[in-house]
Amino acid sequence: MQAALPLPAARTAVATPGQWLTVGAIAAFLTLFLIVPVAMVIIVAFQDPATGAFTLVNFADFARSPLFLRSFGNSLYVSLMAVVWATVFALPLAYFTTRFEFRGSAIIQTLGVIPLIMPPFAGAVAMQLLFGQNGSINLLLDDWFGFRLPLMDGLNGVIFVQSVHYFPFILINVTASLRNIDRSMEEAAQNLGSSGFRLFRRIVFPLAMPGFVAGASLVFIKVFDDLATPLLLNVKDMLAPQAYLRISSIGLKDPMGYVISVVLMVFSILSLFIANFSTRGRDYATTQRGGGGLTKRPISGLDRILAYAIITLILLLVLAPHVGLFLLSIATVWSYAPLPDGYTLAHYARVVTESGQYIWNTLLYSSLTGAAGAVIGAAIAYIVLRTRIPGRHWLDYAASAALAVPGVVLGIGYLRAYFGVQLPNGQSLTSLWIIIVIALAVRRLPYALRACMAAMQQISVSLEEAAENLGATKASTIRRIVAPLMTGGLLAGFITSFATAAVELSATMMLVQNNADAPLAYGLYVFMQSPAGRGAGAALGVIAVLIVGICTYLSQSLAERDRRLKAGS
Amino acid sequence: MTTRRLFLAATALASACAFATPSLAQSGKVTVVTSFSKDVTDPIKQAFEKANPGLTLEVQNRNTNAGVKFVEETRSNPQSDLFWASAPDAFEVLKGKKLLQQYAPKAKGIPEKIGSYPINDKEGYYFGFAASGYGIMWNERYLKANRIPEPKEWSDLAKPVYHNHVSIASPARSGTTHLTIETILQGEGWDKGWGAIKAMAGNFNQIAERSFGVPDAVNSGQVGVGIVIDFFAFSAQGAGFPVKFVYPSVTTVVPANVGIIAGAPNKAGAEAFIEYLLSPAGQDILLSPTIRRLPVNPEAYAKAPAGFPNPFKDKAFQGMITFDVDKSESRTGVVDTLFDQLISFQLDDLKAVTKLMQDVEQGLAKKDNAQARVLLAEARQAVAAMPVTEAQASNDADIKGAFRGGKEGKTRQAEFERKWAAFAKENYAKAKAKAEQALALVR
Amino acid sequence: MTHSELGQSIRAAAAGIAVTGVNLSYGATHVLKDVNLTIAPGEFFAFLGPSGCGKTTLLRLIAGFNIAQTGRVEVGGTDISALPPWKRDVGMVFQSYALWPHMSVARNVAFGLEERKLPRDEIAARVDQALDLVNLKHLKDRRPSQLSGGQQQRVALARTIAIRPKVLLLDEPLSNLDARMRVQVRRELRELQQELGITTIFVTHDQEEANTICDRIAVMNDGRVQQVGTPMGVYDAPDNLFVAGFLGTANILDGHAAQGAFRIAGGGELPLRAGQPVPDAARMVFRPQDARIERPGAQAPAGYVALPGRLRHAEFLGSQLRYALAIGENEVLVDVPHHSGAARFGAGEDVVLVLDNSRTLLLAA
Repeated sequence: MQAALPLPAARTAVATPGQWLTVGAIAAFLTLFLIVPVAMVIIVAFQDPATGAFTLVNFADFARSPLFLRSFGNSLYVSLMAVVWATVFALPLAYFTTRFEFRGSAIIQTLGVIPLIMPPFAGAVAMQLLFGQNGSINLLLDDWFGFRLPLMDGLNGVIFVQSVHYFPFILINVTASLRNIDRSMEEAAQNLGSSGFRLFRRIVFPLAMPGFVAGASLVFIKVFDDLATPLLLNVKDMLAPQAYLRISSIGLKDPMGYVISVVLMVFSILSLFIANFSTRGRDYATTQRGGGGLTKRPISGLDRILAYAIITLILLLVLAPHVGLFLLSIATVWSYAPLPDGYTLAHYARVVTESGQYIWNTLLYSSLTGAAGAVIGAAIAYIVLRTRIPGRHWLDYAASAALAVPGVVLGIGYLRAYFGVQLPNGQSLTSLWIIIVIALAVRRLPYALRACMAAMQQISVSLEEAAENLGATKASTIRRIVAPLMTGGLLAGFITSFATAAVELSATMMLVQNNADAPLAYGLYVFMQSPAGRGAGAALGVIAVLIVGICTYLSQSLAERDRRLKAGS
Repeated sequence: MTTRRLFLAATALASACAFATPSLAQSGKVTVVTSFSKDVTDPIKQAFEKANPGLTLEVQNRNTNAGVKFVEETRSNPQSDLFWASAPDAFEVLKGKKLLQQYAPKAKGIPEKIGSYPINDKEGYYFGFAASGYGIMWNERYLKANRIPEPKEWSDLAKPVYHNHVSIASPARSGTTHLTIETILQGEGWDKGWGAIKAMAGNFNQIAERSFGVPDAVNSGQVGVGIVIDFFAFSAQGAGFPVKFVYPSVTTVVPANVGIIAGAPNKAGAEAFIEYLLSPAGQDILLSPTIRRLPVNPEAYAKAPAGFPNPFKDKAFQGMITFDVDKSESRTGVVDTLFDQLISFQLDDLKAVTKLMQDVEQGLAKKDNAQARVLLAEARQAVAAMPVTEAQASNDADIKGAFRGGKEGKTRQAEFERKWAAFAKENYAKAKAKAEQALALVR
Repeated sequence: MTHSELGQSIRAAAAGIAVTGVNLSYGATHVLKDVNLTIAPGEFFAFLGPSGCGKTTLLRLIAGFNIAQTGRVEVGGTDISALPPWKRDVGMVFQSYALWPHMSVARNVAFGLEERKLPRDEIAARVDQALDLVNLKHLKDRRPSQLSGGQQQRVALARTIAIRPKVLLLDEPLSNLDARMRVQVRRELRELQQELGITTIFVTHDQEEANTICDRIAVMNDGRVQQVGTPMGVYDAPDNLFVAGFLGTANILDGHAAQGAFRIAGGGELPLRAGQPVPDAARMVFRPQDARIERPGAQAPAGYVALPGRLRHAEFLGSQLRYALAIGENEVLVDVPHHSGAARFGAGEDVVLVLDNSRTLLLAA
């Protein structure tokens, strides 16, 4: 037989002017709206507190402090465990809905995304009311059996809440990956005698690895960098809360908050680096024929009941906070009781009359954020995976580092960098609402980017080569071949950034300069500052969840239709 | 490239829309940065706009920290006119950074002090327009279900029956809590005060990172008892929550302030707002149930409903010690950091040793043992021990340098923190060992 | 060990395949219509047909990836219709090869053996054996993406053979290879099949592939098996017009049969053989090599028919010349062996087509 061994042809090294231009545009965007503002804030970490001279002594202080080291260890432990649990929640949902002919796949997928949308404060209150030491579950358990579960206590509480909150990252990305696997991959394994869980473990899951790694690294970094959840559970000995507590204390001159921010960012980039490394040098492109994904199979009898039972159980667990939120929004008073004392629609009436503008703003900002995320994310993914432009990986790292930048740091950075920039009418640049959108886009870009990277990794280069061979330019190949094939990934990116932007508060809080420009999360914050506003805040939260939920459902349906079209018969 | 072109188009479109929004210019709009909730700001906004036709009040809600940072970062071209919040230390910070401007209110009939706290900044940078009292709030259902008696005094909260049922906000994040801690320290003295605070802290269930976190947790029944400002409790009652509130026999008064931001675009409007707040009409609004702040004009209390506290007359407020603002200001950072390093970040250890000591005490009540008494006293002493004296806290050059950004210090804040945390850890461990010994004796 | 010894050592007991009464629909589309087939043990069998004829669907049905509404599939006398794909022991090589990109060549080949929980050393031995058989042992540590198309195909084959399946299914195995490779690989496939003695089904749309390597073929069209037989048998005696037209080149004359003769549309007639069944609507079919061309006036010998016509054009194919003639309203192709210096007819010439009447077929339209 023939013995020649042509290695896969190396892509030509030259980048087109268009590619260089894209790199330039993205680099400029990231520099202007991420690196410069953040640098202007965290520079304090490298200054001697007394003299202002450059020093690394603050980092030595960090390494010498038992509190910080303990916090570091706790953050690491919690993040890893959250990934484990998030995987446990996400994989069955992803697998069942992509693999079987399942009534309501789009609904299940949508419900699976909802946990990402945890409105600030309102979500926290709802979680405590359900799972807290004196939440519904524990009150009932105590009543019936005389014991309580420390669901929300300490690090385990953080792991529980975080894995419920962030597992959709894995769900969304793994689902997109599964949909990109050519069905012959699975059939070949079945043909050779593999089935069930072994088939999943040995073939399907490894092939979905890019999606899983994308999702898992997001969960890891997000949990590592998240400050809201630990603080709501009054866990302070983790890194992100330590940074926040220090940065947000009034009048303290202490640089340690910024030192911790730097540590968080460095560590986030490091974990991306590791994630990158783990999938490097492997070829995951199975989309030879332009997608189609796994064939959906009918499922019947006991299997069907079992699958539905598992899905219901997971959905109940992960959606419990939202059930709580809904109850809170229609409750008169809910205090130290398994259920509210009474029900009312008054909160909704109040919200509708007072917050229409917030809702509209949120829709506008989140859509723009999602779109910007998907477009920039796809562009970066393309540059990183399809060109040989030197240093291209740094676009990825820089964009992803945004995950680790506390919102308040970014907000302050924007004010510091751009407040002085005046528009012709004397207004400050930062008073434009588009600045809020840019801040949101930068903060949410990492989500979209991971999804786009995974999608791009699964597209066989030959599909693009075929287009170029037929005379398509790079640009039109992207438009006509790459973009359509990436639809799933782009949608996943859009949904994650859209959904999470809708409830983002920390950067927004710094940047809102005009009530008319405020998004819903800000309105929610305002409500949640008074006992009488709790129900109204929850109602606004429910509205946020509904809006995002409906948009997500529509996107899912689109994705499903797109998948069916591509799969053919 | 298509992608880039799309993005540019979106940006261009978006900025076009942004330009189209009407400018903030001097339209008779008064912009106020505030940490007060809608319950407070909405009625005042309405009344103010009615009383001053042509002026509109633009309310920007931010928590106090974000508000301070915002004012600080926008100093080059201020967009807001007023800063309006409770925490006096936030105003001190703003004043220190020259972000406020002086003003002399024309309103009459406002005394110099409320309780023993000066109402206005003596240099005229900010003004108290209302006050609130600190006290203890609890969830009735929670206490009943756990068979806990209703607390009356601060010292009650250190009793074993309240172990793990009390919550407070961290003084580093809540200016009002900081005042409370400072009041206790000034009233009881540095060492005794910290001893009392730590004894109470040993019963804490949680230390919230924002003021409203405490009433929120009490309202929903997550914790039973909270140390809060009165209006949180009263507005919760107004919203129907099963909570109660008491002023202990010694309480502190916390003023709520307003100040004009340096370079305010609408200075005249800002002044009008301050005058309105201090006018009889403005003072009367404070009595309405959703706001429920204590007016600083004693005459306003004539219209107050029955049972409304009057800090100018009620005994609880008269018992308050004279509050030394300068002393407080000189050690703010030190006190907050001490609280965090000795209590917040060591809470598990502190609670564990407190529980042990409480068990020893109960054991002693049943079976007296002299040696156990000695051990218990030693344990208490170890817990109460402080790494810093009162004089050092205010005057030590090294500490001052570390916490106030002076150049004289050679030790960094982080180093102090490490030292203090280690000190607390060691002492709590020591106390734990002794308490365990004592417990063995009384078993 | 020589190649054929290797094959002998892997050789398993060959199993026959029987497909009975199979109907399969996707929604309203009836894809397989009453399919019945019997494939003998050790036979090299082809499903031949144009794209969309249902041949791949039938193959996937045997592998268990499609479920029929009616009918059954037996392998080695056992009904496997109810078994899931992974319990069928029916080895399939996919058109796209479906090599798993996350595994090395050796891991790919070992996969099915691992699924069968064979001992580790036996797996290693059988992986080597299978790779030896396709001459790829030296590439066992490569990733699939580092292999050429032909190599990938051989890995896919090795992967399937390694499990020693009862039957081997090949889905258009040559379609992704270049023409030169195709000829080579098909010969190798045949040799391998002979060595292993394994019952093999080969799906293709290319009659040359089917004819050259298969023992028997099933010609399929529109979801039905049109005809089953040896390549030559089917070629020589197609059952219907589709088979006649699909296999090789056939001249199909329009006209109608009546009173012992077939009247060609536009003039001329062919006598019918005695006892030949006459369908209502019929076409006369013959192969281009079963006629020759003479000058006008030439007489047909006994058993031959002479039909006047006009030459339209000629194509030189190397070993032969292919002439296109107008006979009545029909165009007819005639292949004439070419020898150096042989006489040629020119376009536009009037000629006589001399047809061996024993080689004509009257088929239903």
